[in-house]
Amino acid sequence: MSTQTSGHALSAAEAGLVACTTCALLSRPADAANPGDCPRCGAPLTSRQRNSIQYTWALIIAAAICYVPANVLPVLTTTAFGSVESDTIMGGVIYLYASGSWPLAIIVFVASVMIPLGKLVALAYLLITIQRGSAANSHQRTRIYVLVEFVGRWSMLDVFVDAFIVALIQLKPLMSVEPGAGVVFFMAVVVLTMVAAQTFDPRLIWDAGNNRQVQHG
Amino acid sequence: MAEPTDREDLPKATVVRPKRTRISIIWIIPILAALVAVGIAIQRIRSEGPTITIIFNAAEGIEAGKTFVKYKDVIIGRVTQVQLTSDFARVNVTVKIVKHAAPLMVEDAQFWVVKPSISITGISGLNTLLSGNYIGFQPGVSDNSWDTFGGLDEAPVITEQRGRQFVLTASDLGSLDTGSPIYYRRLQVGQVAAFDLAPDGKSVQLKIFVNAPYDKYVYPGTRFWNASGIDISLGADGLNVRTESMVALLVGGVAFDNPPELGQTEPAGPNTTFTLYRDRVAALRATDPYARRYVLYFNESLRGLAVGAPVTFLGLPAGEVSSVGLAFDAASATIRPRVVVTFSPERLLAYGNVPAEVQAFKTAMQDEQKRASVLRRLVEERGLRAQLKSGNLLTGQMYVALDYYPGAPKVKLDLRQPEIVLPVEPGTFAVLEAKLTSILDKIDKMPLEAIGRDLSKDLASLDVTLASATKLLNNADAHVVPPLKTALEDAHNTLVAVERAMNNVNTTILGPDAPAQQELRSALQDFARAARSLRVLADQLERQPSSVIRGKTDAGSGGR
Repeated sequence: MSTQTSGHALSAAEAGLVACTTCALLSRPADAANPGDCPRCGAPLTSRQRNSIQYTWALIIAAAICYVPANVLPVLTTTAFGSVESDTIMGGVIYLYASGSWPLAIIVFVASVMIPLGKLVALAYLLITIQRGSAANSHQRTRIYVLVEFVGRWSMLDVFVDAFIVALIQLKPLMSVEPGAGVVFFMAVVVLTMVAAQTFDPRLIWDAGNNRQVQHG
Repeated sequence: MAEPTDREDLPKATVVRPKRTRISIIWIIPILAALVAVGIAIQRIRSEGPTITIIFNAAEGIEAGKTFVKYKDVIIGRVTQVQLTSDFARVNVTVKIVKHAAPLMVEDAQFWVVKPSISITGISGLNTLLSGNYIGFQPGVSDNSWDTFGGLDEAPVITEQRGRQFVLTASDLGSLDTGSPIYYRRLQVGQVAAFDLAPDGKSVQLKIFVNAPYDKYVYPGTRFWNASGIDISLGADGLNVRTESMVALLVGGVAFDNPPELGQTEPAGPNTTFTLYRDRVAALRATDPYARRYVLYFNESLRGLAVGAPVTFLGLPAGEVSSVGLAFDAASATIRPRVVVTFSPERLLAYGNVPAEVQAFKTAMQDEQKRASVLRRLVEERGLRAQLKSGNLLTGQMYVALDYYPGAPKVKLDLRQPEIVLPVEPGTFAVLEAKLTSILDKIDKMPLEAIGRDLSKDLASLDVTLASATKLLNNADAHVVPPLKTALEDAHNTLVAVERAMNNVNTTILGPDAPAQQELRSALQDFARAARSLRVLADQLERQPSSVIRGKTDAGSGGR
């Protein structure tokens, strides 16, 4: 691959051009401050997403805040034969592990605890490196970003399972499952990180290596 | 300070375009998230109730995180930890109590483990079969909040259902137990809450709880009795079989009722003490406030008369025999039966049909003076007497009847004694016995042997007489019968002649064609005709009285 060309590649912004984020058409902006719309698909053109870093930061922080109650509050409240049990995500993982189904425990742990946390950390890392103008490991960082975006759609698995179980297991009065408040926060974490991954403009990763003077903001 | 110089070699300040540090609206999202999270956290902290420790003898079915503390089926706490005490003798159960139930955690609150129990009175705690045991809770009345409690091994029977608690005193427990039902008119209205030996050890005290709508039927005069099993009594009033419900039959129970003579009074206060009677009969015949004891000196055998036998007044039950015994009088060397009866006029008043009369009589009864005079008049003027009567010929049960005997010899009633002696009338059985005895005596006195001897002598002579009579008759047969036969034949002939003559008469005089008959008939016809003319004349005169003078006018014109 073209890893060696990283620092020297000419970017569209440097060339005074704008690439359409929708149809990838390279065009000359209408004027520097206000690039105008894509001549082919009509999408608004931006050299870099506006306020990308600020937006991403806000969403990441919101997600980080939500991550705490998502793990502290129960996600499922099971009422079976009169006994009420509330389970948090970690509680479920521990239960699965303790009852011997450690592969399942690992899946749940990875999908529900590690991935959201990893996404938060990864995005925070990307933002910090961009703000510090770091040009190192741009390839790795891009890969991280691709991974974050790819994984995002899978982290709703937990919410899905929750919704399924709650809808299916309503054998009142013998057994019923109610969603807990934790699942709402968990969903918020997933949605917020997904949106954060969208608002993050990966082109910023390369700007530092190409031109330290590029404004991001 | 000095003036600014104009030297070229100094660097020129650069003008940097102020960076637009506009705060994007996106920051509302994390702020919102933070607010919600903090809000939940605050709510959590605020709703955090106290943590208490309950010490149980055994943590049967108690699991950390799964066992709840329930009060009125509402979860007020959850077990967070189950540990042995430091001396390993008991179990410390740590419970997190919900905030709103925190004020309930007072010094005398009670905790116990609710587990399924199946007894003959019913199945309780069945829900725990599915949900597992839970810890029951009963709030206390103290104001001191507390955090360490001793758990009870058994559930206290009374939960604070509305109602009242009463105390029953019984000679023994019988088949009663905590939880035994209390019946009122065969309706289960409560249960036995607890029982204990009285402090002096001579009786049993039962705490019973009568549930709310029914507790108002417990009056100070209410009678309680042990309704356990079947109560079969064979008394002077026949065979009685009484049971309460099947449950009571199997496990026992307590029933109560109000004697009919008990009027509407204030309900009994809580913890009123009552006597628990052996059975219904004993309970309902228990003395009433106006009951008095009277002494009866009978002059006959008391066999068949038992303590508790009814005393009737004009056939209505109005008391019972309190004691059956003997009176000894050394001076006159007499020993005679002495029967003490309890007579309850209150009970008679229940039979009163006219309320005004009953009320008047009741007030009179309350006045000791009037009461005495009523009794005196009843006995001295009306002839009220006590009499032993047989209630049941089969079993020989006796009872005491108070009835009027106007013909009884007059007596004076001594009202000064504490226990008034009522005059008695010999019992019907005794009278019958006496009469039979006298008849037998008379029979006994008859010289039966002499009579027998005379009789055989007489029979011998009779034999002789009969022999001569036979001879005489044989004579008569030979000499009297033949002429008698001729005489009879003659008589027969005569009768035949008479019959013929009569037939003649029949045809001439009485027969349909007899001349006499013919004449008689024509005469009667003439007579009938004459009568008819007379009637026509009479009619004519009635219509036209003037016709006697003026002659007959055209028929029918007069009236029309």
